[in-house]
Amino acid sequence: MITVENLIKSYNSLRVLDGVCHAQERGEAVVIIGPSGCGKSTFLRCLNQLETPDSGRITINGTTVAAGSGAGNEEEQLRRGLRLSAGMVFQSFNLFPHLTALENVTQAPIVVKGESRSQAETRALQLLAKVGLESKAAAYPAQLSGGQQQRVAIARALAMQPLVMLFDEPTSALDPELRDEVLQVMRQLAEEGMTMIVVTHEMQFARDMADRVLFFEGGRILEAGTPDQIFLNPQQERTKEFLRKVAVR
Amino acid sequence: MSFRQWPVALFVAAFSIAAYGADHLQEIRQRGVLLWGADAEGGAPYVYPDPEKPDRLIGFECELAEALAGKLGVKARMVQNQWDQLIPALERGDFDVILNGLEITPQNRQRVAMSRPYYVYAQQIVTRKESHGMTSMDELKGKSVGVLSGSAASRLDGLRVCDLRTYPGNVQSFQDLKAHRIEAVVLDLPIALYYAKPDTELKFSGAAFAPGYYGIGIRKEDTTLLAALNQAIQELAEDRTLERIYIKCGLWDERQASLKEYKAEQIAESKRISTLREWPKYLPMLLRAAAITVGLSIIAMALAIVAGLVIVLLRLYSVAPLRWLARAYVEVVRGTPLLIQLFLLYYGLPQIGIKLNAFLAGILGLGLNYAASEAENYRAGIQSIPSGQSEAALALGMTRWQTTRHIILPQAVRVVIPPVTNDFIAMFKDSSIVSVISMVELTKMYGILALSTYDFLGLGLMTAAIYFGLSYPASIFAHWLEKRLRYVK
Repeated sequence: MITVENLIKSYNSLRVLDGVCHAQERGEAVVIIGPSGCGKSTFLRCLNQLETPDSGRITINGTTVAAGSGAGNEEEQLRRGLRLSAGMVFQSFNLFPHLTALENVTQAPIVVKGESRSQAETRALQLLAKVGLESKAAAYPAQLSGGQQQRVAIARALAMQPLVMLFDEPTSALDPELRDEVLQVMRQLAEEGMTMIVVTHEMQFARDMADRVLFFEGGRILEAGTPDQIFLNPQQERTKEFLRKVAVR
Repeated sequence: MSFRQWPVALFVAAFSIAAYGADHLQEIRQRGVLLWGADAEGGAPYVYPDPEKPDRLIGFECELAEALAGKLGVKARMVQNQWDQLIPALERGDFDVILNGLEITPQNRQRVAMSRPYYVYAQQIVTRKESHGMTSMDELKGKSVGVLSGSAASRLDGLRVCDLRTYPGNVQSFQDLKAHRIEAVVLDLPIALYYAKPDTELKFSGAAFAPGYYGIGIRKEDTTLLAALNQAIQELAEDRTLERIYIKCGLWDERQASLKEYKAEQIAESKRISTLREWPKYLPMLLRAAAITVGLSIIAMALAIVAGLVIVLLRLYSVAPLRWLARAYVEVVRGTPLLIQLFLLYYGLPQIGIKLNAFLAGILGLGLNYAASEAENYRAGIQSIPSGQSEAALALGMTRWQTTRHIILPQAVRVVIPPVTNDFIAMFKDSSIVSVISMVELTKMYGILALSTYDFLGLGLMTAAIYFGLSYPASIFAHWLEKRLRYVK
C-alpha cells in the first residue's frame, strides 16, 4: 500500500535522506529506530509532504507524488491526497490551544470533509472514549497533561480516517510515567490492524508490536527485519552499537 | 519675613528683574533695527512674498513697518513666525513687536500691550457667485462655513451655530468654497479684498460687519516703546501716510478716517474669563466636537482593521505581484507623513476630479494610514504562532487557506489585541490631525475656544478629561476582551 522509491533530501550541503526505499503492506506496523540525526523524522515528514524531497517517488494507496514535479495546483492536490491518507502524530502534540479537546478532533472533519457538526461530534466522542478521554471533551489543551494531550492528538488524527498513521517520536516529550498511557493507545491501534509507521526510542514497544523494524543510519535504511532479527541477531556493527547504547540507557 | 510670604516675594523679585531688563526702545535704537514678528505664509495682503521676486516681502504691513521704524529712526526687519504662535514668541523675546493683523481685543490685551489702532477691519461673508442669501450671520445658521484658524471670524459667537470648518490658510478655504465643500467663508475684509474680490467665481455677500481694530502687540513692560509707537501711528495717521499706503494697496475705506480720532477708552478693558466656572457654556461645545473625534476614530479604525487584514493576507499568502504590492503599500504608507497623505487626499485629489468631503478624507487618510500598522501587527502576530500549528493543520488535510482561517488567525487575534488596542487609543489622539483638512474635532475646538478666551488651563483640563474619559473605557474593554479570549477561562 505504501511504496517509497529512492527518496533523497538535503538541507544545503547536508544530505539527510540518501536514497531511501521502502514498501509496506496494509495492516503492517513498522517501527523506525536509529540515532538522532539519522533522517528518520525527515523520512516520516516526507511521507505526508511536510517536507518536500529533492528526488524520489512516494505512493500511498495509489496516489503518487514524484519529487520536483512543481508547485502547481494539480501537484498541490496530489500532496493533499497523500496527507489525507496519512494521519500524523507529532512529538510536541501540536494541539490547537484555542480549541477544546472535542473541537480539536472535530475541526478537520468539519472544515476539510464538510461533515455536519453533530456527525463530527458523535464520532469525536467515540474516538475520545477510545483514547480514554471522553470526560475531557470540554477541556482546553492547557488543562490537560502531556499524555492526555498526545492521546487527544491521536484521536484528532484518527478522526480523518487515515489509511496509515505516522507517529513521530510520540512519547519523547513526555515524562516516563505518562508514556504508558500513550503507548497503550498505540498498542490497541496496532492490534486492530491499523497500518502504522512509528519513529520511536521505545524499544519495548518495537519488540512487542512491530511487524518489521527499520534501523536508520546516515540517511539510509541500514538494516531491516523482524523484531527478533534486529534485536536478537543484528548483522551490522552500527546496529549492534546502537542497541548496546540504548540498552545501557 | 514669614514663611508664607516667600512665594510672594519671589514673584515680586522675578517681576522687577523683568522690568529692569524691560524697556527695549533704548536697545532698538542702539541696534538700529526694529524686529517685527509676522507670518508671511499665505499672508497677503498684510505681508507676503512678492510673486515677481519671491525673496522680497511686500504688503501693507511691510510699508507700515518701514514707516514706523522711520519715525523711531531705525530700520525694520521682519521675523517669520507662525501666526497663531506670535504672542508666545513675543513673550519669549524673538522680536520686539507683533505687526500682523493682531486684533485689539480684551483677550489679546490680557497678554500683551496693544498700541492704538493702525487699521479698522471688518468681517466679510464671501460665497460662490451663484449662491443666494447668506448675507448676514443669521442666515449662515446651520450652513457649513469656513474660517481661518485663530482669526477674529473664528471667535464670532454667531458662528457657533454653524457647521464650522477651520483652515490653516486662506487659499484652502476658497478652494473648498469653489469645490462646493462649504457654503461660505467669513474673514477679515482686507484678506477678502485681496483673494476673493478679483475672483470671478466668488462674490461678497452682504455688507461688512463686526468692525474691529488692528494694533501693534508689545510686551507689557515695554511702556516707553508703546508710547513711542502710539506717537508714531498718530503722526502717520495725521500726515496721511497711512491713507497713502492703504490706497496704494486697495485697502482704504471710509472706516479708516476714524483712526485719527481714536481714544483708548473705546475698547473695553478685559475681564478674566474662567471657562471652568462657566462650564455649561463651553463643555457642550467640547462634547459635540468630541463626538466627531469618536465617530472619526471608530470608523477609521474599523477600516484599518479590515484593510490591514487584507494587506497582510496578500503579503503572506498570495502570488508574487500582489505580494510585492502589499509590501510596497506598507513601506510607502509608513514612510510618509500622515499630514502629507491627508493633504494629498483632500487638496490633491480634486485636481484629478475626485472630491472627497472632509470627513470622508479624514476617515480614508487615518484608516489607510493605520491599515499599514495593523498589517504589521497582524504579521507579527501570525508569525508568533509556532510552525507546529500549521504543520498539524496541513497534516490533517487542511488547505493553506483553511489553515490560516481556522487555526492561525484565531490564535493570532489574541496576540494582536494589545497592540491593536494601543493603536486605537493612539488614533484617538492622532485624529486631531484632521484639523488640517478643516475638520473641527475635539483638539481643534479646544484651540478655537482657548484662543478666544485665553483660558488655556481651564479648557485644557476639560479637553484632557474628555479624551481620558473616552480612551480609558477603550483600554478597559481591551483588557476584558483579552481575558475573555484566553483559552482557559
